[in-house]
Amino acid sequence: MNAPPGLDIASIPERIQSEVQRAIQRSIKGVEYFSSSGPALGSTPKDILHVRGTMNLYHYRPLADEVYRVPVLIVMATTNRGYILDMVPGQSFIEFLLKRGYDVYMLDWTAPRPEEKSLRMEDYVLDFIPDCVRRVQQDSGEQEVSVIGYCFGGVLSLLYGSIFNDGPMKNLICFTTPIDFREMKLFSNFSDRRYFDVDRLIDSVGNVPPEMILSSFEMLRPASRTVSQIQLWENIWNDEFVKSYRMFDRWATDTLPLAGEYFRDITKDLMWDNKLYNGTMTVGGRKADIADIKVPILHAVAEHDHIVPYDAAKHLIPKVASQDKEEVMLKGGHVSLVAGANAVKRLWPKLDSWLGGRST
Amino acid sequence: MADKSNDPVVLWQTMIGEMEKGFNAFANQAMTSPEFSKAMNQAGGVTAGAQKQFGELMEKYLLSMNLPSRAQMVGMAERLQTIEGQLNEIKAMLHQMNAASGAASGYAGAPRPPRTRRPPGEQK
Repeated sequence: MNAPPGLDIASIPERIQSEVQRAIQRSIKGVEYFSSSGPALGSTPKDILHVRGTMNLYHYRPLADEVYRVPVLIVMATTNRGYILDMVPGQSFIEFLLKRGYDVYMLDWTAPRPEEKSLRMEDYVLDFIPDCVRRVQQDSGEQEVSVIGYCFGGVLSLLYGSIFNDGPMKNLICFTTPIDFREMKLFSNFSDRRYFDVDRLIDSVGNVPPEMILSSFEMLRPASRTVSQIQLWENIWNDEFVKSYRMFDRWATDTLPLAGEYFRDITKDLMWDNKLYNGTMTVGGRKADIADIKVPILHAVAEHDHIVPYDAAKHLIPKVASQDKEEVMLKGGHVSLVAGANAVKRLWPKLDSWLGGRST
Repeated sequence: MADKSNDPVVLWQTMIGEMEKGFNAFANQAMTSPEFSKAMNQAGGVTAGAQKQFGELMEKYLLSMNLPSRAQMVGMAERLQTIEGQLNEIKAMLHQMNAASGAASGYAGAPRPPRTRRPPGEQK
């Protein structure tokens, strides 16, 4: 019997030996996996500047001898924890910024408490962000602040920037920020106003449970969790793979609940009426049209983003009034754009080269 | 070197990858239909209703067991939040006083670097 073309018979014993060794390693490492807790995340030294309910403002301790004049405030998405931007040394966006000489603050969120179910969009845009900006100004002694918003943190930053368009925001950087919510096709269908009774949901549960948020994200790629677990088993002998898997898996499943009224506002204003795209958005009675934004702006989008597809994000740059504006599309997905090995090579250096000259 | 197209491990990984893509695409297509939205939200509505009723039942049960009710716990949480807020205000005031005293120190008491950095291309 002849071997199929391309099959190297001589390599088979070596290959079998390698697979047997891996099988043994899998058993050993599999036991280790379940008996250890995984890498410590979010460990870049920081001070808590202010905490108020769900809102947390951190200041990271500088890692450079000289910093840029303009401090940077990162606004995290309200659905997830900020440590995605501070995974482990060498894979931390925060650490990267600090080493490149930025003075970094982060507005991060914890789970809203039951009594915070009444928080609305206006609390986030007209209270939390301005409060943090004021505290950054106070702490740094600088009037101007650059803002970086990730995903829905980008939406909040845009709303803030469009209302407070006379300052003190100096630069705005958005990562994977949706504008046209109709183009988030699955979320749009999940929240179809004919069938989704958001009032009944919020009146029943108060805050939207994190399980509901997580399952709606996972439904976008229903096979991926199972496949990632198969991949974990195949690669459990590989310490680097396991470390990376544990970091991202822990973060992805560490979803936050959303304040009930805030979720109601998002559903009605953005998902149903698409007000951000239409230029009809108001927050607390104040007009919030992104066409009023004039500051330098960079929008980084991911080529394979399944959560915020390009069609939902592409309108940001054309719609803002800024003269100094740029969109950059990079390889990767919604998360790998900002964190992980690819982000180290692609997004972070791009952001540094864009922001450095605008931070003096 | 062995041809990767005949390597059983590579073939298995490719097959899993293709199955993932295929299943996700199929499910995504099914999930864009109004029928899916209707069915999903009907099921979600029933769950939310049941959760509310269960919550009310639990509250009655806790009361009968002489345990604090949810409302009382929320009240305590609100008081704790107020205390936390006041502590944070005191911290902020101390920080301001420290800054006003002229000591060039950071929040944690460490000296802060000067804000004079220039981008690499502009450095002296």
